[in-house]
Parts: sequence; structure tokens; C-alpha cells
Amino acid sequence: MPYEMKVDGMAEISETLSRMEERAAAVASKALYEGAGVMRREVAKQIASIKTAPFQYAGPGQTRLPSPEEKAAVERAGAGVAKFDKNGTEVNTSVGFANSGYTKLAGKTVPVPKIVNAINSGTSFMQKQPFVRKASKGGANGAMTAMKNVIETEFEAMNKN
Amino acid sequence: MPSEYAALVAALKLSTTPIAEYAWKTRPEGAFRVISLDFESGSLNADGEKIDRSWEGSVDLFYPKLTDRDDLIEETEEILTEILGNSWELNSTQYETGTGLFHVEWTFTVLDNEEPETEPAAQNAGDA
Repeated sequence: MPYEMKVDGMAEISETLSRMEERAAAVASKALYEGAGVMRREVAKQIASIKTAPFQYAGPGQTRLPSPEEKAAVERAGAGVAKFDKNGTEVNTSVGFANSGYTKLAGKTVPVPKIVNAINSGTSFMQKQPFVRKASKGGANGAMTAMKNVIETEFEAMNKN
Repeated sequence: MPSEYAALVAALKLSTTPIAEYAWKTRPEGAFRVISLDFESGSLNADGEKIDRSWEGSVDLFYPKLTDRDDLIEETEEILTEILGNSWELNSTQYETGTGLFHVEWTFTVLDNEEPETEPAAQNAGDA
């Protein structure tokens, strides 16, 4: 009598594998969302440490600090997270002030990214306070840990099902 | 202060372009450079100790005439390469509408590793 062998469940494995990419992309997006959140909070923490002084025009040969109104505008805008750019299992985004709109300063409409850039990179009359650069370096490890945790938990949950 | 940073400041001071250091209060006229050590970044911690301390800093160049651009940028990058090797990068280029100045920013990383170099020498002296 021939020995018969039978394997069940191949259809399920096949189905799971076919949906793997889709699920991986969803996990990646979830992880990135957490990571971006960590970076946003880090930027907010750094904004709080910006030094200010009441506004006065920097005359010839003089420098000035950012005014409290400028700091408040940056604080109000906060760092934003760009729309997730999905390509297969790869998901990209950026955290920053690129699209943070305008604010009114002394009756003038000024773009918030311009204020952020002036504080972060400095100008010829304002000393730099590189809060975005500091946040991007300081928050990278935390963001990576947060993303790793999400991916691990999600994959554990997927393996159980 | 890291020795590489001190060497960079000294090298930039030899140039004819004026230099403003950290916490500068007055703005030089014409083209000028600003150098600052900004924050600690990328230090190596192990066994609850700080093994290597590393700092990030930046060099900014402000210049009014577009014709000066190539010479000033080349000179700055030559100095950076001479002192720091390749641990620097061009971070941004900007234009200030209010003052009409062009602004180029480089960032660099310097290692503050003076202590490990002196320790073995002291030990050897004790042994002898």
C-alpha cells in the first residue's frame, strides 16, 4: 500500500504571502507615523529653548536676537509632517516647516518658513540657534527605536494570526 | 574646546576675510565668516561612560558680490578639508533679501578626544 502524504493549508500560506507586501506597507506607514511624532515632539522641545529679546532693528554693525513674537509664531506653527509618499513597501515623509503658512508681524505678512530659517541658520545680523538641526540629530535615535517597536509588535501580531 | 576646532578658528583667522566667533555682537562689513560650535552630537557612550565626545559646529559665509563667490567658497572648503578631512558638508545656500547678502553654510563634526591620548602615556610613566 502506497504511503500517502498530504499537506493542508498551502492555500492559506499562498494567500498570506500574496498579501504580505500590502501588510508590510501598512506596518511601515504605522511605524513612520510614530517616528514622525517623535521628531515633531523633539522639535517642539527645541523651540522652547530659543533665546529671545524684545524686537529692535539691527542697525549698521549690530546684531539682534529673535523677538518673542517670532518665537510665538514658530511655536504656533509647530513642525508639520508631509504627506506619506508610498512606493511599494517603501514609505517616505519629512518633518519640518516647509508648508507652515504665514503670520502677521508688526502689520506685515511674513512666511513662517522664512522666520524658522533665519533662526535656524542665522542671518548676517542674527546669531544662529540651530534648533531644527539639533532636533534632527537628537531625535533620530528615539524615532528609530519608536519605529522598531511598532514594527516588532505588528509582526508579532501578524505571526499569531 | 576640541583641538581641531581651535585649529579651524586659527586657520580661518589667517584668511583676509574677517571672522566672527560664537556669541558675536557686532557685524563686520562686506564679506565675513561666522564660526560656532553648536551642540554635542554623535558622542559614543559605553559602560556608563562617555568614551568619545563629539560636537557639531558650523561655518557661515556671508558675501555681497556674486563675483567673489568662487574664491571665497573655494578658500573656505580648502581650509575645512585641510583641518577636518572630510567630516564637513555643505548644508545650505541662501540669499538675504533685506541686506542683499549671499549666505553659505557648512556644518562639521569634531571629536574631542584629547583625554584617551594622554592616559596611556601617564600609565607608562608610572610603570617605569
